[in-house]
Amino acid sequence: MPADDALGRLLTLLDGSAEGTAGTSVRLPANLREAATVAVDMGYALSAAELTVKGLHDVLEAVAQRALLDQHYKRHPQDRPSLAEVAQAAAELDGDPVAEEPALIQEAAALVEERETPGLARPDTVVMIANLLRWSRSA
Amino acid sequence: MMAPRSVVLDNEAVSALLDPGHTKHRRMLARIEVAASRNLVRAGAVELLVPTSVRVEAGWDRQAAGAAPVNRLRVHDAPLDTATANQAARLRRDLAVSVADAHVGAVLAAAAKPVAVITSDVADLRRIAGHLGVQATIVAV
Repeated sequence: MPADDALGRLLTLLDGSAEGTAGTSVRLPANLREAATVAVDMGYALSAAELTVKGLHDVLEAVAQRALLDQHYKRHPQDRPSLAEVAQAAAELDGDPVAEEPALIQEAAALVEERETPGLARPDTVVMIANLLRWSRSA
Repeated sequence: MMAPRSVVLDNEAVSALLDPGHTKHRRMLARIEVAASRNLVRAGAVELLVPTSVRVEAGWDRQAAGAAPVNRLRVHDAPLDTATANQAARLRRDLAVSVADAHVGAVLAAAAKPVAVITSDVADLRRIAGHLGVQATIVAV
């Protein structure tokens, strides 16, 4: 199946109703299975199956979100934000005071990009380094 | 200062996200990237929410023909159900805000915390959050 068709199918399935179930055999690590039972006993979940479905759903949502962004950038490469821009957004959403110092965030992003594979550097790492730079220069 | 579990979008944030020609489009994508990167590390870490009345105001029809991929970016509807409508009605009465802003406020109150909101109207949202006693990070579009 071509990638675009596969993504469309994934989204359709995720957006569809939860009517109908399919039996499946999944080998769960024993510790996780027992932890799920304990969580149910504690009243935090209805069943181990509910926890498994929720976990699977959340992971698939994350995959779909990533794939949609990648598809969008394939068509509109100019829309892809830089690592510094994403780190700036992360600092703003977190209410991190370093958001007020975009030059520090850009400096930290440049440091991270120098040392990591482009595209794999995480924005939270940049915010953390920007905060370290801020702290070291104010000390 | 904490990473939000919920991020609520207001009208201008939605418009910027949906319109590739919008001056803040790329900036909004950077915010979505934050959620996407955190969700890949920990599934379900960040939920993106759009109050349905905001979606109406912004003219966002998820089923519109030719809807771009960005239209389906896992921004979940926060509906105006009974409890939310009651909360929004109280906000509208007390603060004389628009229906959409009142709905945003009600969603802020109900969303998993910590919560952030991306808005073009920082002052109004600050007033709403303060009235509700909700600790929200308010981010300008």
